[in-house]
Amino acid sequence: MSKVIVVTSGKGGVGKTTSSAAIAAGLAMRGHKTVVIDFDVGLRNLDMIMGCERRVVFDFINVIQGDAKLKQALIKDRRLENLYVLPTSQTRDKDALTTEGVKAVLDELREEFDYIVCDSPAGIERGAHLAMYYADEAVVVTNPEVSSVRDSDRVLGLLNSKTFLAEKGDGSAVKAQLLLTRFDQNRSANGEMMSVQDVLEILAIPLLGIIPESTSVLKASNEGTPVSLDEKSPAGKAYMDAVGRLVGEQIEMRVNPGEQRRGFFQRLLGRTA
Amino acid sequence: MQSGKRATERVATVRPLQIRGRFFTAVALHLTGRPDRTFFDALDARLAQTPLFFDNAPLVIDLEQAEGMDSADELLQFTADLRARKLSVFGVQSGTAAQARAAAKAGLISLPGGRDVPLERVSRQGSRPEAVQVVRELPQSSKLITQPVRSGQLIFADRGDLVIVGSVSSGAEVIATGNIHVYGRLRGRALAGVNGDSSARIFCHALDAELLAIAGLYRTSEDLGPDTPRELVQVWLDGERLRIESLK
Repeated sequence: MSKVIVVTSGKGGVGKTTSSAAIAAGLAMRGHKTVVIDFDVGLRNLDMIMGCERRVVFDFINVIQGDAKLKQALIKDRRLENLYVLPTSQTRDKDALTTEGVKAVLDELREEFDYIVCDSPAGIERGAHLAMYYADEAVVVTNPEVSSVRDSDRVLGLLNSKTFLAEKGDGSAVKAQLLLTRFDQNRSANGEMMSVQDVLEILAIPLLGIIPESTSVLKASNEGTPVSLDEKSPAGKAYMDAVGRLVGEQIEMRVNPGEQRRGFFQRLLGRTA
Repeated sequence: MQSGKRATERVATVRPLQIRGRFFTAVALHLTGRPDRTFFDALDARLAQTPLFFDNAPLVIDLEQAEGMDSADELLQFTADLRARKLSVFGVQSGTAAQARAAAKAGLISLPGGRDVPLERVSRQGSRPEAVQVVRELPQSSKLITQPVRSGQLIFADRGDLVIVGSVSSGAEVIATGNIHVYGRLRGRALAGVNGDSSARIFCHALDAELLAIAGLYRTSEDLGPDTPRELVQVWLDGERLRIESLK
């Protein structure tokens, strides 16, 4: 049974594309056949983060409009056996997405893939709406600051009302989980950033993972490598933990999974969820 | 955004002008055919049964089954006949386009469709004018929400109380004609008694609201002040002042 997972946030720049790439790569590393789709028509980035921008011939929009077959547009990742990328068009805009077209592509992908990760654009307009519309699950990417939390809250409202599952009206709903990104333990402890508890209290959804602010994320993006492939980076480890929870494993929540066990006083000073 | 002081003043002082929404009950007179001798005889007989009830009651002429009535003169004559019987005609409803134009010329307004209720229920209450009050009350029904109210959502209980089991997020709006109960943290905007019911109240487990309003009188988070109780509170209207008190 395949699953469609939307990675969404409302606000821009919080790490949706980075998270989509890392989650998709993580799922593929675990042996699940995975495809990641870029819904950000006109502002395509996913192919760069995935390091396949020079291999794009046909895209998602070509498939929706019938100019290319799905097989022609899917790009197979060179590092991971089970990972595919469906890039989007840089020259079109969100109006090129149609409800029927998106459904047809997702239905075709469902037959072949275990996980379909939809990288949503920022905002709540057409692109973001169609990215979440057919989702079974949602990963809501949030930074620990007030505007990001409020936008995520808005998106949760839309997931509860403006999706295929919600509109069925039989009580089924998109299962939404929180991915807290760019988290800085010290700044949170100082009160410069919101704490994990504050964010969870407002959003009232389960926590999928906490991704620490890390230089390895920007480095991985520039290299075109999903950060979860970087086994040494704390962010990469945190993404792998989150992927484990996404597929239903019980994994203890750690803020800096790569870090050495801290001393007694440090632990006292930096308690987390 | 105005300063907090200014907003407080607006609530506290008498304003030169207030605009409020208003619901009221009118009597609809259904006219079948033309108003002839028989019609007026029947009308007089009906008025005689409850002589005070119709006194100066606002009255709408329903033209759905009427004949003619598409000239201003005809309508003016009919209005004069009704007003002679102490019926305060102010408008027409369900008329054709021609009838609506004639009504406008005769100084009557054309109302979009409303909803009729049986008048018997009212007249049996007695013939005192206060009986009109009874018709004003629509059947109350409260609205229950069991999920958190998210930013950008608007929940409106148009016929009574609104009960929310969960929190109301910042950027969300909860509105009721009656009371509002929030079994969680209220961070958004809450407007109770929006039809002008100044006895409506807002209850919440934790108060962090952006705006509180009862019957149009409001306070924003800016002018709540540091002494405002934040846990288990009720908000109510004390004359022209919005008060926030702890329930503990």
